[in-house]
Amino acid sequence: MNPRGSLEVLEEKEDSAPILGPSIHSDNPQERIQARRLRIAARLEARRREALGEYLDGKKESEEDQSKSYKQKEESRLKLAKLLLCGTELVTNIQVAADIREIHRRVEEEEIKRQRLEKLENEVKTSQDKFDEITVKWEEGKQKRIPQELWEMLNAQQVHCAGLIEDKNKLINELQQELKTKDDQYVKDLKKQSDDICLLLERMEEQVKNVMKSFRQELYHIEKAFETERQELLTSNKKKWERALQTHNARELEYLMNRIKRVEDYEKQLNKQRIRDCEEYNSIKIKLEQDVQILEQQLQQMKATYQLNQEKLEYNFQVLKKRDEESTVIKSQQKRKINRLHDVLINLRSKYNKQVKLFQEENRSLTSDYKRLVTQFKELQKAMRHFAVIDDKQFQEIWLMNEEEAKDLISRAFDVDRIIHMQHLGLPWTAPDFWFLRNVGPISQQQKSATQILEEVLMQAEEEGTEESESESYLDLPKQVSAKTTRKILMLLCDESGFLIEKKLLGLLLPLEKDECYMLRLDAIFSALGIENEDDLYKLVNFFLKYQAHHLPPPQEQTSLISASETVEQLVLQGVKSGSLAEGEPQEQEPPPSPRLIHPNDVLKILEAFVMGLRKPRDFQVPVKLLKVVRDDSKDSEYWKALTTVIPSTKQNLWDALYTALEKYHLVLTQRAELLVENQCLERQNTELLQLLQQYLDSRINSELQVPPTQVFRVPTK
Amino acid sequence: MQETLTTPSLSGPSQSSISTQDRSSTAGQTSSTGPPPSKPSTIPPPVKSKGLSSRAGVRRMRRIIAEDVEWSLAIVPFLTELCIQHIVKNFQNNPILKQLLPEHQKKVLNNLPPDLPLTVTANLIDDENYWRRCCLQRWPVCHVDKHGGSWKRMFFELHLENLLKHFIPSTTDPAVILNLLPLCRNYVRTIRVDQFLPPVQLLPPPQSGDLSDSGSEGEMEELATDHYQLGDLVAGLSHLEELDLVYGVKDCGMNFEWNLFLFTYGDCHSLAATVKACHTLKIFRLTRSKVDDDKARILIRSLLDHPALEELDLSHNLIGDRGARAAAKLLSHSRLRVLNLANNQVRALGAQSLAHALAHNTNLISLNLRLNCVEDEGGQALTHALQTNKCLTTLHLGGNELSEPTATLLSQVLSINTTLTSINLSCNHIGLVSHGFWGWQDNKTLLEFDLRLSDIAQESEYLISQALCANREAARQRALNPTHFMSPITAKGPENPGG
Repeated sequence: MNPRGSLEVLEEKEDSAPILGPSIHSDNPQERIQARRLRIAARLEARRREALGEYLDGKKESEEDQSKSYKQKEESRLKLAKLLLCGTELVTNIQVAADIREIHRRVEEEEIKRQRLEKLENEVKTSQDKFDEITVKWEEGKQKRIPQELWEMLNAQQVHCAGLIEDKNKLINELQQELKTKDDQYVKDLKKQSDDICLLLERMEEQVKNVMKSFRQELYHIEKAFETERQELLTSNKKKWERALQTHNARELEYLMNRIKRVEDYEKQLNKQRIRDCEEYNSIKIKLEQDVQILEQQLQQMKATYQLNQEKLEYNFQVLKKRDEESTVIKSQQKRKINRLHDVLINLRSKYNKQVKLFQEENRSLTSDYKRLVTQFKELQKAMRHFAVIDDKQFQEIWLMNEEEAKDLISRAFDVDRIIHMQHLGLPWTAPDFWFLRNVGPISQQQKSATQILEEVLMQAEEEGTEESESESYLDLPKQVSAKTTRKILMLLCDESGFLIEKKLLGLLLPLEKDECYMLRLDAIFSALGIENEDDLYKLVNFFLKYQAHHLPPPQEQTSLISASETVEQLVLQGVKSGSLAEGEPQEQEPPPSPRLIHPNDVLKILEAFVMGLRKPRDFQVPVKLLKVVRDDSKDSEYWKALTTVIPSTKQNLWDALYTALEKYHLVLTQRAELLVENQCLERQNTELLQLLQQYLDSRINSELQVPPTQVFRVPTK
Repeated sequence: MQETLTTPSLSGPSQSSISTQDRSSTAGQTSSTGPPPSKPSTIPPPVKSKGLSSRAGVRRMRRIIAEDVEWSLAIVPFLTELCIQHIVKNFQNNPILKQLLPEHQKKVLNNLPPDLPLTVTANLIDDENYWRRCCLQRWPVCHVDKHGGSWKRMFFELHLENLLKHFIPSTTDPAVILNLLPLCRNYVRTIRVDQFLPPVQLLPPPQSGDLSDSGSEGEMEELATDHYQLGDLVAGLSHLEELDLVYGVKDCGMNFEWNLFLFTYGDCHSLAATVKACHTLKIFRLTRSKVDDDKARILIRSLLDHPALEELDLSHNLIGDRGARAAAKLLSHSRLRVLNLANNQVRALGAQSLAHALAHNTNLISLNLRLNCVEDEGGQALTHALQTNKCLTTLHLGGNELSEPTATLLSQVLSINTTLTSINLSCNHIGLVSHGFWGWQDNKTLLEFDLRLSDIAQESEYLISQALCANREAARQRALNPTHFMSPITAKGPENPGG
């Protein structure tokens, strides 16, 4: 029962388990599950064994052989286990028997003890009774006087006591008897126990012997089983080995025979092959010899041509050599030239570089100069502009001052003239009206705002209805455009482009008069179109006219917007010129094309084109400004001269005559004034005298007089 | 031996020729002494005369002895041999051992006489062979297995036991034992004393040295006769693990007297203090010493919360319910693994208290209540406790007046409990419980179930033994390959009967 063997057995069991266990193809699902589990377990087991390096294969082979020994081992193990179990049971039986005997004894003992105690108690009770009786009798005895009675009683007492003692003794005896029996029993028990122990020992020895014997036997059996198994294994293996050897020998022989046969075959084939090869060889040899002859002939030919070629080539070679020499000479020359040129090139290059540097430096300095100059120029310009502005202002101021002075003088002159006329001559005087009197400030083409012009145009139109004083208007419209046409165009514009006016404004305009309404409407339209000043307005009007002109004869001049703008610009320039030329009255050169011809539907198109064109001219504002700076002072001297000739020479002559007359008159008057002064003095003297008189008259003395002076003459004051 | 001793000039060529011829003869001759010059050095002289005479005869017969292999003029022992002999001779006075080479040490130890004084040998010699010789010389029967397989330990333990056994208080000098203490303190692990002699009474005329006599004579006095106090000894032994004591006298024969078997309160207190002080103690046995409830309580109180105690054996005493209750308390206040209260007077109450302690105990493995009087009440309490206990493996309830109710309850409990492996219910009145009641057939852990002499039917006994057999087989397989016993067992189900 070595553990190794059993272990092997166990493992063996595990091995065989999946084989004998439930199959996977069983009908019962439980069984199949079981089988799969087993398979998994077996796999795990196999893996584990491989990991442990166990010899799985060897084990499987010897599985069947080992089963016998395994059986033997298992058998003997079971047998021995049983034997051991039985043996121990047999041995322990004695102890158990002793135990139960002890228990029985205890129970009995208890019973006996109880009985004995009872008995003793009874005894005690009865003896106590007896004793009480006796003690009572003692009392009785004490009272007895008669000796016989006493003696009798004493005797009786004695008898009683004896009885009591006897009882006790009996009890004691009994107990002693019991003790003795107990002692005997104890001895017996001892003996029994020693017997038991002897038996125990005997059994143990027997057991040991048995176990030893059986172990030996089983060992022998197992060994035998192993031996037989080994023998069987040996014989079977030997048989197998021999069989294998035999088969091997047979096969070897067969191989040998086969080999011999094959060798013969091969030899035959070799011979055949040899003969065939020989024939073939001969024929090829002949053929090749022929070939060789042909080739030799060819070779001779080739050699001849070769020689010829060689000579030719040698000659060529010589020629080429010479050429080569020549070319080398040329080459060297060329090389030299190249070198020289190269040097030159390098020199030039360096020069060029130097030049480049020089120019660059120059350039740099020049650019810096230029920059400086530009800045200076800019500053200068700024200063100039500044001065120009200041000059303008000064000029204006001086002009204004002088003008004012002149006007003052003129007004004084007029005043004087008027006084002369009115007071001295007694003539009605009308103030002369000159254009320059109304002028304030320097004379120039000031841009008037569109609305002002508008107002003027409208006013003019209104006036037109009453009086034809077109010439009076100093409104300098372009010559080709009459105020009337302008007005018409504007009216048309006003009617057609109501959409440019805000609705709110329209609402506000309703209650107003027609003219005012027009006025405000046009104002709104102009603000929407971006028309700000006079020029713009004229441009617009012109644009209308031109458009019309272009469109009436369509193929004639299809001016683009840009050309239109150019023409507009030209017009501006023209305007400036004409403004300077046309002093008072701009003449109508031609009857303007009727604006009626402009179809109201075209108005929007024209407007759109105009707005597009207007965008551009705005950029040309700077040159316009510059142009404005060059104001002409030709008119100035005229102006100033005109101012001097406000009072004509005829009037001056008149004045001179008047002056002399007046001087004469003044003389008369001064004389008269002297006379008047004389008169006054005399009057004063008179009054003084009067006063004195009065004073005299009023004095008391008068009263006291019989005849008062008053009575004499009447007082003038009363 | 002769090969090393012979001079080459003499035996060089001859040796080879003869050695083939007779091996046995030369071997036989080597045991006896060689030629005269080597005589004084040889050790065993007693056979000398005989050997010589026989040898002389042989010599006379064969005059030419040049071919004798061992014949040599120069059989002179080595100096080391001589030194070793000398060391052995004077070992008692001048023990030299540790300084020697190992081989020489071996020789010395082999030749030392086993009766050297212990003061010399105790701490010097560790060689088991020497101590084996000592043991075998002193005691004819030696169970070295009982002493941990160490002969030295065995020698000291038995020696100490012998001294204790024959110690008579107030007569023998306690120094006899205490002197031994420094020598044996490192080796003694167990003290087994099955006899403590009472002190000799001085009133009667001094008796002869016979121990039993002195005991028998002293009994008349009824004095408090305390036995030897183990305290000093136990305190000195640093490795003591087992204490096995019987307060009684052996071989008293016809001088028997109750007084000889008296375990007094003094003994009890001193023993309790001793046990408490000994922290290495693992096993404590106090048997056949008339320990009653009070003494048991004193002892057990001292054992409460003992750090090492694992086994307590108080069998064959007079412990009743109160003592059992104390033991139950001890169960919950120590790491006790084995408790033996066999052959005491524990009754139902005591068993109930034990059962109460057992129900929540996790240390106790074995409980023995043989030959008590637990009866059904206590038995039922114990079986109830087994329902919750997960530790107890062995339970002995033999001879406890148990009967059917306990058995039925036990059968139910066994179907739940999976730790119990061995139960003994022999010598009870279980009666004819039908085998259907044994619900533990689904129990796979029980290996032993003793039901002898408990009045049960043979049929059920047979069935039980069958089931136990199966369980044992399963347990064996489990022990052999613990890693994967689950699947193989199920797999082997159909295969086992066939194989």
